[in-house]
Amino acid sequence: MQYPEPIAKLIDNYTKLPGIGPKTATRLAFYTLGMDNEDVESFSKSLISAKKDLTFCDTCGMITEKDMNPCIICRDKSRNQGTVFVVENSRDVMAMENTRDYHGLYHVLNGVISPSAGTGPEDINLPSLVRRLSEHEEIKEVIVGTNANAEGEATAMYLARLLKPAGIKVTRLAHGLSVGSDIDYADELTLIKAVQGRTEL
Amino acid sequence: MGENAQGKTNLLESIYVLALARSHRTSNDKDLIQWQQKETTISGRVHRRTGDLPLSLNFSNKGKKARVNHLEQSKLSQYVGQLNVILFAPEDLELVKGAPTIRRRFIDMEFGQMNPLYLYHSAQYKKILKNRNAYLKRLQLGQTKDTVFLDVLTEQLVDTGSQVILARQAFLKNLELAAQPIHTEISNQQEKLTLKYQSSVDLSENTNIDQIKSQFLESLRQQYQREKSQGSTALGPHRDDVQFWVNGKDVATFGSQGQQRTAALSVKLAEIHLMQQETGEYPVLLLDDVLSELDASRQTHLLLAIQDKVQTFITAPSLSDVAKQLIHAPKVFHVKQGQITVE
Repeated sequence: MQYPEPIAKLIDNYTKLPGIGPKTATRLAFYTLGMDNEDVESFSKSLISAKKDLTFCDTCGMITEKDMNPCIICRDKSRNQGTVFVVENSRDVMAMENTRDYHGLYHVLNGVISPSAGTGPEDINLPSLVRRLSEHEEIKEVIVGTNANAEGEATAMYLARLLKPAGIKVTRLAHGLSVGSDIDYADELTLIKAVQGRTEL
Repeated sequence: MGENAQGKTNLLESIYVLALARSHRTSNDKDLIQWQQKETTISGRVHRRTGDLPLSLNFSNKGKKARVNHLEQSKLSQYVGQLNVILFAPEDLELVKGAPTIRRRFIDMEFGQMNPLYLYHSAQYKKILKNRNAYLKRLQLGQTKDTVFLDVLTEQLVDTGSQVILARQAFLKNLELAAQPIHTEISNQQEKLTLKYQSSVDLSENTNIDQIKSQFLESLRQQYQREKSQGSTALGPHRDDVQFWVNGKDVATFGSQGQQRTAALSVKLAEIHLMQQETGEYPVLLLDDVLSELDASRQTHLLLAIQDKVQTFITAPSLSDVAKQLIHAPKVFHVKQGQITVE
């Protein structure tokens, strides 16, 4: 027995989402059938609009609405124009913004250098960072906030080598214990990194 | 005991997998699940000094779930090491003479069980190596001219690679210390075993991390033209090897088959002692069809070394005379068509 075509297609489309297998997709598809018409319509509209009405900011690479380019952060002159925080994707910007503690600018790489995955330095939003820095001499510091894995680390080191000769201060986020955690719960590597990055009191 | 193809090795493999969450036979977890089935579970009760500990491991198409004391572990590294095993199979007799890959794998598997930091460094090294090779390929094909990123990858490779070399050297020193008395005894005081770490990086007397790093970096610099034309990394721990020397000669080239087996056996037995020093408890030993590959004198040494100390699972078509004499009150199970019965 096969499902009727419309629901079979819906199930198939749900399985394209990450972390969703055939079972969950079937459950979601049947749930969708039971939803109000207007909810389903608004759902499908927002799916299309997310693709159609969004673009990447020409200045920093973060996602923004098509009629808001440069993005809202790049337009905000009250922000500290001397610091740029480099991250891998737009979600990282939101995470930083939620701290309400950073008031500088951002640059979103939309990826990380990984030759084995076919991504070289020129394939991510990096050339635009170099251009941006040469055009805006007021930027004095670049904070590199790529992830703490081999590829994030390589990208950070590459940035440092590229930018330091131009007299720009390049800093890297610290590794170590997470705030409020107990030492005996930390894994060995985190502890080693925390000792290496210790600060004087 | 049992005939061939009845499921003896299968039983040992399940103990091995329960300990290490992967098989020695295959790198594909799907191969561990019975044909036409969706999942499999292995569970066991480990009796340790501190008390009993239930372990269980579930494989399905969604991956593996590891439970210690019924609690699911988010990281496999928290699971591996709860039960330590050493497997000794006929292939291990190839340790001395076989391809260098076998010896590197031996170090990675055995040392990794005892040292989680080594496990991390060697995994990082493999990842960086893959990236560096891919980038060298790009340079070779003229897809990029930017050598700054290659310098970054070189620095990363040297940093983690040097840690790997340093840790392997230390591990081999300990292994040698533990293996020497065993080897001397098996060879009736005739032979002295030494283990030499043969690095593709010219180490000479360099033993501290900074010296290894600078030498590694220098060696790579010299090989740069060759690396660029070949599109791959010319040297590093992934090309290193271990040599077994007996009385000043390389056994792989100048030794008899008997000497090679003695060397392999000594190293395997030494591992049991090392693991006992490192973790405070003897590992579980799995001898897969290996007794029949050894002559009476080597069987005797092997069995005496583990007698009354190490819990051992032995698979064999039948028990040899030596085994009958030396194993006190063995518990014999018969394996027939996947069914296990106690004698």
